[in-house]
Amino acid sequence: MPRSQITPLAILLIGVLILPLILSSLWVKVVTSAAIFALGAAGISVLFAQLGLINLAQIALIGVGGWVALRLNYATPLPFTVIVVIAGVATAFVGAILALPALRMRGLYLALVTLMAAGAFQILFNAFQFPNGGEGFWGVARQSAADIRRPSVAQSDVGYLRYTLVIMAAGFGLVALHRITGPGRAWAMIRQSEANAMAAGINVTFYKIWAFALSGLLAGIAGALLSGALGQLDARSFLASEGILLFALAVVGGAYSWVGAIIAGVLYKLLPALLNDWGLSADLALILFGAALLHAIMTAPRGIAGQLLGALQRKPS
Amino acid sequence: MITIENLTVKYGGVVALDSLTLNISDDVVGLIGPNGAGKTTLTNAFSGFAPVTDGKVVIDGVNLLHMAPHKRACWGLARSFQKVQVVDDITVADHLRTVLTANGVPRSARNARMSEVLDFTNITDERDTLGADLNPFQKRMTEIAKCLIDRPRIILLDEPGGGLSEGEMQHLRFIIRETKSRFGAQIIMVDHDVDLIRDVCASTAVLDFGKLIAFGPTEDVLRDEAVKAAYLGR
Repeated sequence: MPRSQITPLAILLIGVLILPLILSSLWVKVVTSAAIFALGAAGISVLFAQLGLINLAQIALIGVGGWVALRLNYATPLPFTVIVVIAGVATAFVGAILALPALRMRGLYLALVTLMAAGAFQILFNAFQFPNGGEGFWGVARQSAADIRRPSVAQSDVGYLRYTLVIMAAGFGLVALHRITGPGRAWAMIRQSEANAMAAGINVTFYKIWAFALSGLLAGIAGALLSGALGQLDARSFLASEGILLFALAVVGGAYSWVGAIIAGVLYKLLPALLNDWGLSADLALILFGAALLHAIMTAPRGIAGQLLGALQRKPS
Repeated sequence: MITIENLTVKYGGVVALDSLTLNISDDVVGLIGPNGAGKTTLTNAFSGFAPVTDGKVVIDGVNLLHMAPHKRACWGLARSFQKVQVVDDITVADHLRTVLTANGVPRSARNARMSEVLDFTNITDERDTLGADLNPFQKRMTEIAKCLIDRPRIILLDEPGGGLSEGEMQHLRFIIRETKSRFGAQIIMVDHDVDLIRDVCASTAVLDFGKLIAFGPTEDVLRDEAVKAAYLGR
């Protein structure tokens, strides 16, 4: 097995075995959330690093995945893992639809279109809320949420953290697989120049839609995991502005490696919780994020992950 | 046999190609003309990147203009660009694999094809080198290998000789001359280097302001007074 695969697997093993042992119950929940949003950030990174496309609607797509998962949880007897997969695939379709404007736009204009889409989802989530076990299609009742079925191996919060980490790693693996096979090579050509890609016979439309679908798949899985972690979802967690924040953090973390996605997840969920724990305002995180973003834009285009990996690579020589 | 009929390309009010009609049957055909004459526009019209307002391009009985750009590539149109389009972070072999995958070449045939074109373009040693680490000649050869690997019917080369040394040019000449017999592809080549055109092109077309001003055997065309006036500045 090549070294490039051993390191991430070793880290996963350590995470799955050690993290649950050293974390208190509160921090188990926070780390679970961080892992979930790391998976979502990985979807942003696919589009940004592979194709140079900006997607500000990832949080909205996570909301879509969460909605589908909750809906299925209350309407069907399907096992949780099956629900996660279905939510992922359904969100992949929504992501692919989001790709349609991307076929003709890039840069600022595409960012604006995805922001508008995120705004539209924000309104929908607000208007219809997330299913909590009520009657009818929307499934919303004035009651506290009914139970979410978790997988048998992940009934406890600690088990669920392990379950989430394994799925997150599988998601990262899927992205890595794309990078080293046909789609990754096609994306590289498209990134270089669309004319060049077309002249090589690459169906640019198809591969762009594929990238958005993969990004949506990761968001949908993240959303389903989030519904299982929290038991119910709140429309206020899926604001369009959160989509901008997660995108910024994916860039700060580093869009070119899975390490960057983990850093994004940690910054998004763990840092505010840490600040709270230290008696500081969680809003302070926004100031830190702003500074980090400036830092990334000016001195570290490959993000914190790029700097870390660069430092590690230089060390042996 | 390539038949270009009344081909017209307009960028807004600018007529970049003006009712161009041309029949090309030689194995290697040159395309010359001063800057802005419409040479690259013509290659772009072939590829589907230029706004064609009228006319057709028929090759072996098929009108290219009815196909989407990537379908033209799969059908058998390959091209290189004036500015080399080698991707920094993938290897030479990956460049070739991408073309093979996009064109649906079966896995079993891929390795043999790859070895063949790498050997022909003299970059076998660079097979696993990243695009960023190639020198300009190797980049150019990677582009030509990308063109050849799909066994196309037509190859458009847009200034393939730009920035190459004399020794490297010799190898380029060899490749251009041998392509038809080894790979069966007809070449249309845009270049400013009259020596290169004279050496390898059986016939040459001259464009000026989007119009064809001369076409025929290369030597005759280069002696043509109108061509000298427009292009060679004499």
